[in-house]
Amino acid sequence: MSALVLGIIAAITYGSRAASLALLPRAGARFEAILARMPAPIFAGLATATLLTGDRALVDGPILWAALGALLLSPTRSLLFCLIGGAAGYALGTLAGG
Amino acid sequence: MKATSTRSILATCLPAAAAILVFGTLYGAAARAIMGVPLTLASSLLIFSGALQFALLALLSAGATMLPLVLIAVVLNLRHLVLGAVLRPRLEGSRLRRAALAFFLVDETFGFAVAAGHAAERAGVPAGAAIERTFLISGVVCYLAWLVGTLIGVLGVGLAGVERVAGAIFPVLFIGLASLAVTRRSHAVRALAAALLTAGIAFAMPDLRVLAPVVAAVLVALPVGER
Repeated sequence: MSALVLGIIAAITYGSRAASLALLPRAGARFEAILARMPAPIFAGLATATLLTGDRALVDGPILWAALGALLLSPTRSLLFCLIGGAAGYALGTLAGG
Repeated sequence: MKATSTRSILATCLPAAAAILVFGTLYGAAARAIMGVPLTLASSLLIFSGALQFALLALLSAGATMLPLVLIAVVLNLRHLVLGAVLRPRLEGSRLRRAALAFFLVDETFGFAVAAGHAAERAGVPAGAAIERTFLISGVVCYLAWLVGTLIGVLGVGLAGVERVAGAIFPVLFIGLASLAVTRRSHAVRALAAALLTAGIAFAMPDLRVLAPVVAAVLVALPVGER
């Protein structure tokens, strides 16, 4: 990869970040209502995507256990408790040889 | 501890930054052999996107030329348009300020910023300032972690032993952020639907796995009558 290609890709990346955050006008009220509903689905989708590998398989057992631990504590609506649940799940999964 | 104090923001984002550092190390070690030291460091300095940089690496190792590299950058960066659009109404700063902040828009900083906004709203304080502050601090921390990780990898220090632990941080983090963003039953239903859709898209089209969460979120956020 040449410096020129790297520069083009960096510009595309920054442009995509700045476009909706700074360059484009603010969305209308109806569109903003849709956008306001998106954070939870985006995070749920990201969590799901991190549990899948590129070859249609699930990640290692301890990572699944960590996710389960975080999920069990998610009703607390506390990031700290979710991290604790994740750590406990990971430890359990490792001990269980998952 | 005030929800938007520097200390509390750091405490929230440091586990993710530690994981980013580990993945930065893996990237640096792998990229050095393919791109050379200067371009490896420059890529992390200028791009700051783990998903894209690893994808570029995979293409380069398969002998890709300029066009596929640029195309993958366009496709993988599409999700920034949606993340930015969600964040845009919540940021109060000037256009120049938002343009400067935009560099730090990655999945994790987006999550921390949105969560900070929800926390501020619950505490009855203005959300805009909390979101901007969290976005900036978590952005700088995650960026530095990615750079330092890349540098460590380039220098040849292996952290492969902790890769599995680092891999567990991201699903846990995103589950925690989803729980913070759920304030109504309908949010939980949409989140569950997005998770199932993401899994479906990722299984049907593994190459689009990175885009799947945003596509799924857009689909489930579309109005189907007020719930």
